[in-house]
Amino acid sequence: MNSINKIPVIEEKRTNPLARVFDEFVRFCRSRSLFILHYCTGCGAIELPPAMTSRFDMERLGIQPMVSPRQADILLITGYVSIKTLKRVILTYEQMGSPKYVIGICSCTVNGGMYWQSYATAKKLDEYMPVDLYIAGCMPRPEAVLAGLQKLMDRIHSGEANSWEDYFRNYDYYLGNQQKLFGENWQTPTDIITEAKHYDLIGEGTLGKHTQILEQHQKPLEALDMRLGHDLKEPTE
Amino acid sequence: MRPENYEAQRHPPSNEFELNFGPNHPGIEGNYALKVKLHGDVVVEAKADGGYLHRGFEKLMEQRLWIQNIALVPRICVPDPSPMEVCYAMAVEELCGLEVPQRAQWLRVMQLELSRIAAHLFTFGGHAATTGMYSTMYWGVADRDLILDLFEEFTGGRVYSIYNIPGGVRRELPDGFLQRISETLDYIESRLPDYDNLFFKNQVFVKRAKGTGVMSQEQALAWGVTGPNLRATGLAFDVRRDDPYLVYDQLDFEIPTEAHGDAWSRTLVRRLELVESIRILRQVVAALPDIAGPIRAPIPNPLAWNVPAGEVYTRVESSKGELCYFVVSDGGPKPYRVHVRGPSSMHAVQVLEKMSVGSRIEDIAQTMFSLDACPPEVDR
Repeated sequence: MNSINKIPVIEEKRTNPLARVFDEFVRFCRSRSLFILHYCTGCGAIELPPAMTSRFDMERLGIQPMVSPRQADILLITGYVSIKTLKRVILTYEQMGSPKYVIGICSCTVNGGMYWQSYATAKKLDEYMPVDLYIAGCMPRPEAVLAGLQKLMDRIHSGEANSWEDYFRNYDYYLGNQQKLFGENWQTPTDIITEAKHYDLIGEGTLGKHTQILEQHQKPLEALDMRLGHDLKEPTE
Repeated sequence: MRPENYEAQRHPPSNEFELNFGPNHPGIEGNYALKVKLHGDVVVEAKADGGYLHRGFEKLMEQRLWIQNIALVPRICVPDPSPMEVCYAMAVEELCGLEVPQRAQWLRVMQLELSRIAAHLFTFGGHAATTGMYSTMYWGVADRDLILDLFEEFTGGRVYSIYNIPGGVRRELPDGFLQRISETLDYIESRLPDYDNLFFKNQVFVKRAKGTGVMSQEQALAWGVTGPNLRATGLAFDVRRDDPYLVYDQLDFEIPTEAHGDAWSRTLVRRLELVESIRILRQVVAALPDIAGPIRAPIPNPLAWNVPAGEVYTRVESSKGELCYFVVSDGGPKPYRVHVRGPSSMHAVQVLEKMSVGSRIEDIAQTMFSLDACPPEVDR
């Protein structure tokens, strides 16, 4: 089943001598226009309004909040994620268009933080999705958040921030951890394996025993018949 | 708020449709969700869906020492953390029979009122943003930051101060701090007319907020509403005055009330409370130089501290409403049971569910912000 087992080298395909210049330019532009998904998962979100508004002013770096995951570039995990939230976070992450970046803010995303013994929170974020950058602290100051975002911009510019490829290449590992936490019939409506094929990012860890379990449980999503059509009757009583 | 395993649900044909409102939604305060049933754009039924921020505080506190819990409790309510630690410290003091020194009590009042101003400024910001007025949000958050600077200076923490311990407060004021606090208060007071012109007298806000999310006084009492939301229905009940704790009985302040119980009244009560909090802080600043003495009562070794057995119920007035702790000790080094009665669990669940019905979809966010519900405290 592991047929497309190759790691692509993008440079080989590029024949244009200006390709490197274009790539550099694209990375520059990408790093200067970032949209943060507006999802406050935990306490760290309280330091984001100061970072965004007049005093620290994130917008001067070209970073703005964005309300929909489809148009966002950065997923900020601001603090602890309870198990219920983590499901939504994973669903949101899979909906975001690539390239996408994840920043774990607060100590809780690193190792559980204050809630290391809590029954309700997921302790290590990078078991469930690849993380580009951690900003430790409980909670980190707006300056630290800004410094972290600038670091991310540098990494995007130099081409190092490609953790999103890791999610496709090692999907089996992340899915396994998710299944361990949520149960074996865990599934999301997004199809990561097809997407990995689309990006040509099928790696050795993309398919495995956990994706086999997923295939057994996965039901194709039916399109709901949303029309209020002929069969809609007025209440007769 | 997608269903857990994404099974398509078949409903009989109807003119109503369901909308999942949150948790990833800018109109929702924090990580919280509502499942709304709509007819056109009028809400027929709203169902609150919490638990996204559940950390199991009451269980965690049973597993930690009495002194360790001080660092844990402020996390319950993120925008207004100070009343949490004061209330918990008061509960432990009552169990042990500790007498808090006079100066520590004044310092606690200062911390509580600063926290109230910060929380109210933050709420205005959020409320204004839900009606599309982002300037107020930018101003409110920037002015709140000045208070956070004060917090950082005298407690060491910007948001979570962890300034209290059972028996008193942790540190003395820095030199010249009272001067700086007066300057900040003067500045915030000078900004209030600007806020009035930008937000509170703005017809966009007034016309949208008047008549939105109305509750009567009887309903408010039956639903367990407290704090500014209760005072907006005309009942002047405030724990600070009616069951005084710390040194609030020596301070001179008024309880602002409004009559209509709608979003407009609730916001106006908070606006008037800002003035009262500034007034209280001025009295504290004037009184503090004359109150000498220790800031901490001696406590036994905190790592081997067996608090006497008993049960105690303490309450304080937080910026959201009445906050209470029920603490049971079995004489051991850890609490036997701690129950937190937060104000927001009533406001964000029952009250919001009932008040949303009949309003339009765009007013839900406004109703929620005018109730000043705090999702981390709902879920705990």
